[in-house]
Amino acid sequence: MIWLLSLREWQRRPLRMSISTLGVALAVAALWSLLAFGRGYRDGVQDELDHLGAHVLLAPKGCPYDATSLALHGASWPCYLKAAYLNQVRAVPGVAKAAPVLMNAFIDDSGAQTVYLGVDSNLLALKGGWHLSGRFPTFRGDLLLGADVARKNDWHIGQTVSLPGLNGARGTVSGILAPSQSADDGFIYTRLSDAQTWFQRRGELTHVLVRLRDPDQLDDVVAQLRSCGAGLEMNVVPLSHIFHSIEGLVNATRALLLCIVMVALLVAGAGVSNTLMIAVSERTREIGVMRALGAKHGEIFRVFWAQALQLCGVGAIAGVSIGWTAARETDAWLRAQLPYSPHNSMVHSDWPTTLACILGAMLLGTMAGGLPAWRASCLTPSVAMRARGERA
Amino acid sequence: MACVVFDAKRCDAGAGRTRLKLVGENFPAVSNDIKMETLSFAVEADGLTRIYKRGGEEVRALDGVSFRVRDGEFVSIVGASGSGKTTLLNLLGCMDAADRGTLRLAGHEVGAINERARTRLRRDHIGFVFQHFGLMPTLTVHENVALPGLFGRRIWPSRHQKSLDARADELLERVSLAHRRNHRPHELSGGEMQRVAIARSLLNTPRLLLADEPTGDLDSATGESIIELLQELNRDGLTILVVTHNTALAAIAEHQISLRDGRLIQDSTDQML
Repeated sequence: MIWLLSLREWQRRPLRMSISTLGVALAVAALWSLLAFGRGYRDGVQDELDHLGAHVLLAPKGCPYDATSLALHGASWPCYLKAAYLNQVRAVPGVAKAAPVLMNAFIDDSGAQTVYLGVDSNLLALKGGWHLSGRFPTFRGDLLLGADVARKNDWHIGQTVSLPGLNGARGTVSGILAPSQSADDGFIYTRLSDAQTWFQRRGELTHVLVRLRDPDQLDDVVAQLRSCGAGLEMNVVPLSHIFHSIEGLVNATRALLLCIVMVALLVAGAGVSNTLMIAVSERTREIGVMRALGAKHGEIFRVFWAQALQLCGVGAIAGVSIGWTAARETDAWLRAQLPYSPHNSMVHSDWPTTLACILGAMLLGTMAGGLPAWRASCLTPSVAMRARGERA
Repeated sequence: MACVVFDAKRCDAGAGRTRLKLVGENFPAVSNDIKMETLSFAVEADGLTRIYKRGGEEVRALDGVSFRVRDGEFVSIVGASGSGKTTLLNLLGCMDAADRGTLRLAGHEVGAINERARTRLRRDHIGFVFQHFGLMPTLTVHENVALPGLFGRRIWPSRHQKSLDARADELLERVSLAHRRNHRPHELSGGEMQRVAIARSLLNTPRLLLADEPTGDLDSATGESIIELLQELNRDGLTILVVTHNTALAAIAEHQISLRDGRLIQDSTDQML
């Protein structure tokens, strides 16, 4: 009944209650999106680096973040490494595998991108998670297709196809990768020598993926790679450092956004508190009547406290629903804003985040409702009965 | 047994016997911390004084008011505006505390019990009827009547709820408003609202009913029906104290108390003071 008394307030002041709830809902939606984005982004970046299968990326001199982004997502590179560096890299102690890559990309008139990667069999040692049908490119013109490429073009193993962006060049599909939910799904792998021929980059590479014998020796190996003869000509990028740098940047941005969301939550809480203060003022006579009928201080407190919890509870559920429903749009918007975004969804909808938001909103309700409820409960019946305002 | 503690004249009068029986049946001793005692006086006020401070100035709203009300009496409290009627009613309803004097309600000295016990005393032994009815606008008629039964209970009174519903229905039958059970207060006439308020005041089978201008917001015909209902309740043994300007209502009371400037100027049982 205490809950009923609070619930019925919605019938009396639907607009005021709805506006307060909307404030909470928007703040909770922002909080949910921010938390979901944080998890999604970190998981997405980590996933992509895991799919790359390397501990260190060797790229031409320039920005290491750009190089990582190019290697992860596929693009045409502005400069190249000499293939001859490969032997020096492989000679460094601690290097288990060094897989050379020559990457190039073409964008057709419709804006669709085709990414080619010239690779050798060393790549297989890095891609332990790959499941492929057919065989890895071994003979001239062999192609290994990412799952999305095969599906979109309806290409099958054994089929000879014209290669998009390469005038007249043809290849034969030797294998197709199982879907991996990563950038690999959109790549076309071919032999390194074929790629060098097609793109007229003989003796050149875009990057080298390096896997270490012991990842704990990362700093030592990176130091040795930098000090080898080729080290001066290339960028040695430890991917875990990149991950932590990206994570740090994103976390700093998130912390700033979180402050803004917290302010929004405080404002929403103040709105709830204000709504209840007005309700206490309007219902002072009712409070007096309830006290006269035998309601204890605690029971009056619960009536208004329950109202705050209801406001914030409904607001939280609405906010989480908004966040969840708009996750795709939020993801698209974030992709347009961020310089680097992972292939997978960056807004990770999950129950722990949802539960945390709802509990947070209930805590907000507890705090926002505390003062008005306390004020209501402290009214003495005789004083409350004399109050002006709505007649009970 | 109970007759011994009641006034002998009343028992002899016959009507008093009826009252006595009903008091014994309908208003049994209630446990909790407060033990009901079957006494001949429902109210014993001795030198009640209430002083308010307004702008640094002391205002004696009540000044040494003493009177007694026997169980089953119908008492009217009359006086001009500002004479202290409402202040007295607040004290009798345990909604305010006297600055001086003693007040015994249902055998309990109000000044000696704490706020929680006063709330319990109010809930279990005192019914209220207000001039402006005091109905919760968002609750139905039935929910309004059941409201006092929800206070002092557990948060989820599932078992209690059935008997509470039945009691509320019974009271609505008694005030002839069973057909309005699911209506909201704003759908009722003034007389119906006051009947609902009276039904609500009876929910916890009080020993004492305090009514503050119960006909004040009603037209004369509707007011008369409310007066009849109060008389009927009094005939069933309920002690009623009414603050009123309504001369018809004041006239039917067997015991009249008049106040002026916070002082008791006439108590019909003691004649002029």
